[in-house]
Amino acid sequence: MPTIQARGLTKRFGANVLAVDHLDFDAIPGGVTGFLGPNGAGKTTTLRMLLGLVTPTSGSVLIDGHRYRDLPNPTMRVGAVLEASGFHPARTARNHLKLTAEVAGLPFSRVDECLDLVGLSEVGDRTVGGFSLGMRQRLELARAMLGKPDILVLDEPANGLDPQGIAWLRDFLRLYASEGATAGDGGRIVIVSSHLLSEAQLIVDDVIVLTAGRLAAQGRLQDLLAGSKRSVRVRTPDADRLIQALHDAKLPAVARDGFVVCDGATPETVGPIMVENRIEVHEMGSSTESLESLFFALTGGEGMQLVHTAAQTGDYRRFNDGPPASPGPSRSAEPIGGQ
Amino acid sequence: MSRLLNAEFRKLWTIWSTFVIFGIVVLIDLAFGFGLALAPGGRHGGTAGIVPHGSSQWFVNVFSVLDVSRLLALVLGVLIITGEYRHKTVTPTFLAEPRRGRVVMAKTGVGFGAGVVLGVLTMLTGLVLGLVLVAMKVHSCLTPLGVSQGMSQALCSVQHGAYYVATTHNMWHEWSRIAPGVVLGTGLFAIYGLGLGALLKNQIVAIVVGLVFTLVVESIIGAIWPTIGEYLPGQAATALEDAARTNFGGGTTQLLPWWGGAIMLLIYGIALAFVGTFTTLRSDIT
Repeated sequence: MPTIQARGLTKRFGANVLAVDHLDFDAIPGGVTGFLGPNGAGKTTTLRMLLGLVTPTSGSVLIDGHRYRDLPNPTMRVGAVLEASGFHPARTARNHLKLTAEVAGLPFSRVDECLDLVGLSEVGDRTVGGFSLGMRQRLELARAMLGKPDILVLDEPANGLDPQGIAWLRDFLRLYASEGATAGDGGRIVIVSSHLLSEAQLIVDDVIVLTAGRLAAQGRLQDLLAGSKRSVRVRTPDADRLIQALHDAKLPAVARDGFVVCDGATPETVGPIMVENRIEVHEMGSSTESLESLFFALTGGEGMQLVHTAAQTGDYRRFNDGPPASPGPSRSAEPIGGQ
Repeated sequence: MSRLLNAEFRKLWTIWSTFVIFGIVVLIDLAFGFGLALAPGGRHGGTAGIVPHGSSQWFVNVFSVLDVSRLLALVLGVLIITGEYRHKTVTPTFLAEPRRGRVVMAKTGVGFGAGVVLGVLTMLTGLVLGLVLVAMKVHSCLTPLGVSQGMSQALCSVQHGAYYVATTHNMWHEWSRIAPGVVLGTGLFAIYGLGLGALLKNQIVAIVVGLVFTLVVESIIGAIWPTIGEYLPGQAATALEDAARTNFGGGTTQLLPWWGGAIMLLIYGIALAFVGTFTTLRSDIT
């Protein structure tokens, strides 16, 4: 059973930049762990410390109790997909993979298998200089998979992938993580860093949220979202009567933008009230809080790259409304500290 | 370690820039070699005076320009290590082998090998050059009045001059005398370049520093303090060439014994690579 443990992990660049600040976390096998946070939160630095590319200022991050550089043949334990730029443009994709395979002592047949896995078999003998960003990402994934590792680390893997590519990657990671459980090898750890929350929400099971180099929350995504805010909206010609009925049921209903909005309610509670009062309904919708708004709550609304649209989430906040209102006291998305 | 060596060799021959350097070596060697061999008036070689075309000393001078190849061996050595940073391939390299010192050791071995290959290519080019000169029957006549190129043997004897003609025998003699030194020199200069690359990390800076030091700084130091100059990398490499002693024989240039030159070059290369490994290359890959 692979483990990854960070304890007091700290990285300081120069005198003023504290990229990662006393970070403690555990990555859990058997699912996909999302490493989430706004740009500059320290995600990439943390992953590069995990991979021995960046030396921590203090603290440690250990794989099965060992530093990455003390693993005898790390290609066989940990696969890493980092920024898609580690290629010599004049080298062919196949030769690029052979370099890692050779150092790890893997047969070159494994190179062909991995090229096939990511759908690059036919361009394997072309130089990487002519590859698109998405092809380079897939080539990096092929390199990561060479040693059939039980730990996979991906830094912003969705960058440069088109929607089909992202869907493919999502399925791939799900399958990979679940295979570990069924293959009886004790589970696999998949860590995916992302600032694209809509994407992460679809892939990850567990989340580690970073903000300004610190741990903001850690836990199962479901648990983090479960206690979060829900609301129901209804379009009806009898808005006043509905609001009165909801108030009678001690529900906080208000009229907003031509809808009746009832925070903290579900369709299951609002529906019977409307039937009972014979209120005509033209449209009804519900929303649960998205990872995004949870994220805002945890990170204090720092810069986001992609904002959910109403169509995706049922959240009827308009694009230009800015970040959601600051969390009220009832919001239950409390940070869950590392153990 | 053998896996690392294999991978490092693969890195070299799977990109075309390596072969571009080899091509430049052949072109420069041919251009310099023919340029010197066919330049009119012979070459003044220290106290030896005028060197008549076709003589053994003339072959020594022609072949001695081949050591220009060691500058390209230096560039190759620099590229082996700085190319990784330039193209960020250092990330997959250190992911596969996180013990960076071992990577540098493998690169040092491969750099030496590539430098030796470059030296062999140089001497093969030199052999072609020499055979062409022999086939051209380059000859000259040295009389008390001076050297005259192209004068026939009959006319030369009439004028009581010494007649010289390029033969396979004297070409081969001088070629085989200089070849081991040139090959060892390019091999060791590649390690020297690799050390510079490990220390400076930036490709352009390392190449410029290496070339300017070898071509300019060393000459200045050598001219002012010859006893220091002979310990510098360029002169140490020249000391490897047995023929260099007759070339500059009795001149102002001091040279170490050949093994002394080899040791000095190794010290430069290994020391730079060692310091680079524990300073520059330990830095974070971001």
